[in-house]
Amino acid sequence: MEFVRRHPIFAALSALFVLAIGTLVGAAVIWSAFSEQIKAILDDQFYFSVILSLVLFGLIMGAVAYSILLERKISAWVQDRYGPNRVGPYGVLQPIADGLKFLLKEDVIPANVDKSLFLVAPWMIFIVGLVGFAVIPWGGAFRWPWMDADAPPLVAQVASVDIGLLYILAVSSMGVYGVVLGGWSSNNKYSFYGAMRAAAQMLSYEIPLGMAVLVAILSTGMLRLEQMTEYQAQHGWLVMYHPIAALILFITALAEANRMPFDLAESEQELIGGYHTEYSAMKLAMFFLAEYAHMITSSALIVCLYFGGTHVPGWHWLNTSESAAAMLARMGVMGAKVFLFICLYMLVRWTLPRFRYDQLMRLAWKSLVPLTMALVVIQVLIVYFDAWRWWALIGNAALLLVGAVFSVASGRRITGRQHSLRRAQGELMAYR
Amino acid sequence: MEQMLVYLAYAAAALGALAVYAALPREGRPASRGVVLTLVAAAVGALLLLMGQLLGEAGQRVYFYVLSLLTLGGAVRVVTHPRPVYAALFFVMVVLSTAALMVLVGAEFLAAALVIVYAGAILVTYVFVIMLAQQSAPQSGGMFAQALQYDRDSREPMAAVLVGFVLVGTIAGVIVNYEWTGLAEYKTTAAEGNTLALGRVLLTDFAVSVELAGLLLTVAMVGAIALARKRIPQHDEGEPELAPGEIGKRVSPF
Repeated sequence: MEFVRRHPIFAALSALFVLAIGTLVGAAVIWSAFSEQIKAILDDQFYFSVILSLVLFGLIMGAVAYSILLERKISAWVQDRYGPNRVGPYGVLQPIADGLKFLLKEDVIPANVDKSLFLVAPWMIFIVGLVGFAVIPWGGAFRWPWMDADAPPLVAQVASVDIGLLYILAVSSMGVYGVVLGGWSSNNKYSFYGAMRAAAQMLSYEIPLGMAVLVAILSTGMLRLEQMTEYQAQHGWLVMYHPIAALILFITALAEANRMPFDLAESEQELIGGYHTEYSAMKLAMFFLAEYAHMITSSALIVCLYFGGTHVPGWHWLNTSESAAAMLARMGVMGAKVFLFICLYMLVRWTLPRFRYDQLMRLAWKSLVPLTMALVVIQVLIVYFDAWRWWALIGNAALLLVGAVFSVASGRRITGRQHSLRRAQGELMAYR
Repeated sequence: MEQMLVYLAYAAAALGALAVYAALPREGRPASRGVVLTLVAAAVGALLLLMGQLLGEAGQRVYFYVLSLLTLGGAVRVVTHPRPVYAALFFVMVVLSTAALMVLVGAEFLAAALVIVYAGAILVTYVFVIMLAQQSAPQSGGMFAQALQYDRDSREPMAAVLVGFVLVGTIAGVIVNYEWTGLAEYKTTAAEGNTLALGRVLLTDFAVSVELAGLLLTVAMVGAIALARKRIPQHDEGEPELAPGEIGKRVSPF
């Protein structure tokens, strides 16, 4: 018992406990004193959006910190290790320790860097990683308990814009700058190679990404993300009609986030750390935060486009109710779906080896782009002839079949320069 | 009144031309910073006067002014900055603030398309190429210390400024004078939204133009591929083809 009381974790936990009680009491006092004003502010969509964006920012920063822990735990699980387990029970306080470490480390700015761009680059990538959240429909329409039943409902979404999806595409297309500027301004050959690789890769994978998104736009005929999820609630999730497009969207999202099979830009064995080689302390942390925030945004995008957003089949109350509790539940559902996708990202990272550079480009230009083009054509035909929706699935199957027949008949492996290698092997065998 | 506005537009263009001419990088006798700032202030003042006359009491003027000043300032820095990477980044700033201006008048789709196409694709390629061509360098010893010679000295400042600003002045004069009619039939409702309406107009009234633009882009792409296409042999001629494990050691058949 004495040991428990002396342990720093005990002190930290009791401090947290006191802090939580204090916050609750303070919130109750403020609520009882200013409840009318607070209600008036919460009823207004604009102020609610501002508050929601602040809350989401906090939540997402927390989620990012803990997804780094999750990543380490999953990697440990994949590699049959324990993973971080020293700080707190099961290592749950590890992110706090990591954050403190990043904050307290010396912030080195090397002498020969292009200083202004060097300072701007982490912010650029960080902001771009975060602003995409604004148009994700986290909770749908709802009313506070004190609002009239016929009052116009609020929307649990920071901004409901007419071009929701295009906004996300526009924002994510700006993500290249942070990487390129960070790599170039470091004045380091390795950083520069990393930046160049990242730029070429992100530009290439933006094309199949855009086309996979276009398939979803064509299927629903809408650009607002909340209307797209609405459509899926009525007609079934889009992944049932277009599984290949969903898969391609996932693959390109991996590439856009510079995640494992596509992380040539920061491959440790070749480039030390790629574009963030010269960065240290909080600036380095910002690159990581941006990467994980990008993962969360792209997961939310995939969920909204192909996996029904907040929709759960068969749960009528959750899907239609406009109460605040249902809104929170929908946020929970969205969070759970995003969480599943993030786990998938991490499993992929610790399972697949890195691509070679020519394989990376070949995958984008010779398989993903033609595939998505074919999918777009299929969906365009369905829209034009106003045909049965399930033709999309049949078209997907036919596409897979054609691809399989083509690859078997052509007899070429799709992995890089293997065919010349095999020819050489054949000659060798014939010689023997 | 109309006539006066046209002259005001010309005056703004002329002052802008003077300011840009003074601000262009020059190795010989660069204009003093005070002169440049005074000229820029005068040009901006004339422009604001013109805008105030044109817009009258139109709403959202603060945002409009801030964004257009950002756009113009960025554009001036694009041509006057001695370091190409920074010039390209100022170009990005111009594109972003132009997109914001478009959002301000309700053309969200154009804004998004502008950002995706220009800032997200074309300018990335610019930055990419510029960065490949030039190593970044420390900035000590003044901004001009590290810039290359052909970046320190603008080549034909007088001709470039004249041509550019004659064009600007002409366009501004025409815009100031023009009677905007025939726009009513393309008016959209809030429920429909601009994006939907734009798509409908583009694919019905202007279908041929869209098709032609698509054809042009396809031709350009085919041309680019035809120019860049070159078969790289896997092996040099005369060199025996070796299995990967054998590369580096001689394999003699006997």
